[in-house]
Amino acid sequence: MTAVQERRLRELRSRMLVRAFDYRQRRHARGVWFRLRRVLAFASEAYALPRSEAERLIAEGHQPEPVGRELEPARIILYVPRECVAGIASARPLAVRLSAEILSAEFLALVPFDVDAGPLR
Amino acid sequence: MTFRDRLIATIRAARPVLESPGVLVVGSEVPNLLEKDAAATLVVSQDLDVGVSVDCHATLRERLGDLREFEPSGDEPSVWTPRSAGLLELNFVGMDPAQDPAEAYVLEDDLLPLLVFGTLSLVSRGAEVEIGGTRLALPRPAGLLLEKLVTDRTGEKGERDLLVALGVLAMSLPGDLDELESLYRRLRGELRHAVRSNLTILSLLAPRSGMPDPQPRRAEVTALLRRLEAGDPEIA
Repeated sequence: MTAVQERRLRELRSRMLVRAFDYRQRRHARGVWFRLRRVLAFASEAYALPRSEAERLIAEGHQPEPVGRELEPARIILYVPRECVAGIASARPLAVRLSAEILSAEFLALVPFDVDAGPLR
Repeated sequence: MTFRDRLIATIRAARPVLESPGVLVVGSEVPNLLEKDAAATLVVSQDLDVGVSVDCHATLRERLGDLREFEPSGDEPSVWTPRSAGLLELNFVGMDPAQDPAEAYVLEDDLLPLLVFGTLSLVSRGAEVEIGGTRLALPRPAGLLLEKLVTDRTGEKGERDLLVALGVLAMSLPGDLDELESLYRRLRGELRHAVRSNLTILSLLAPRSGMPDPQPRRAEVTALLRRLEAGDPEIA
């Protein structure tokens, strides 16, 4: 085996060990990024909301996604139908991707691709 | 000289090995070759990955002498570098269908040692195409897509590889996705999780120059994620 092959094999096995560790820890803090990405992946649109609008939506019965509480500082992430967001003039549209804008939004409204198709719980 | 010109010239020059039994073109050039007239619009890497079934290594070895426009790299003999600037490198990798997808080993050989990647055990022989006067075999889309999604991806190269997966997904037919789901269900939990994790990353990638734009295809990616999640014991 050449030195290069030995190094590549060692690196690959190291990555596999890290991945196995991540998998075992997936239901704990180590899995937060996956859970956040998953919640975002099911959204066709994303909007930053003012606190008052997020609180109003919660009062109307929209449940915050649990992953928001796992972040520090905590975020309020709500799945809401498109027509709900359309009525909020102060909702600021964001591209659905892992960006500073999305990650820094304290109150986030997500529109699912399909009305009945938020993430499976 | 365009990238496509180099790719086609490489395929022509590598004919002795590409037409050898048990050899498939794998990796990021596959979507390029699946495009109409092998349009090769995606530039991900400057090499051609040549998958070699470990059972056929000995046969391939006998043909290496006919590979006159390439020579083995001094520090990495599974990479054959071109003798002219108009060609891409050949990167030989081993495929062992009996291997665990999370493992890798080296097939020792003094002429062509191979790193055998377990993820390539998911890849199987698909369509044959003729390009540059060479009859070459491509992988079945389902296995290739799953291989791309199960592989640990990090950094810039990892993201570009995921966009290659998007290219394969875009070309997949309903039957390919059925096959993908069937292959996925046979994976153990850790690997299924890796697939789903990579799909979430793919769904959230920003567009990149020269690569398929993930934004218009996010719904397809999410639909695949939802399909794989459905019935998965990991999703409580």
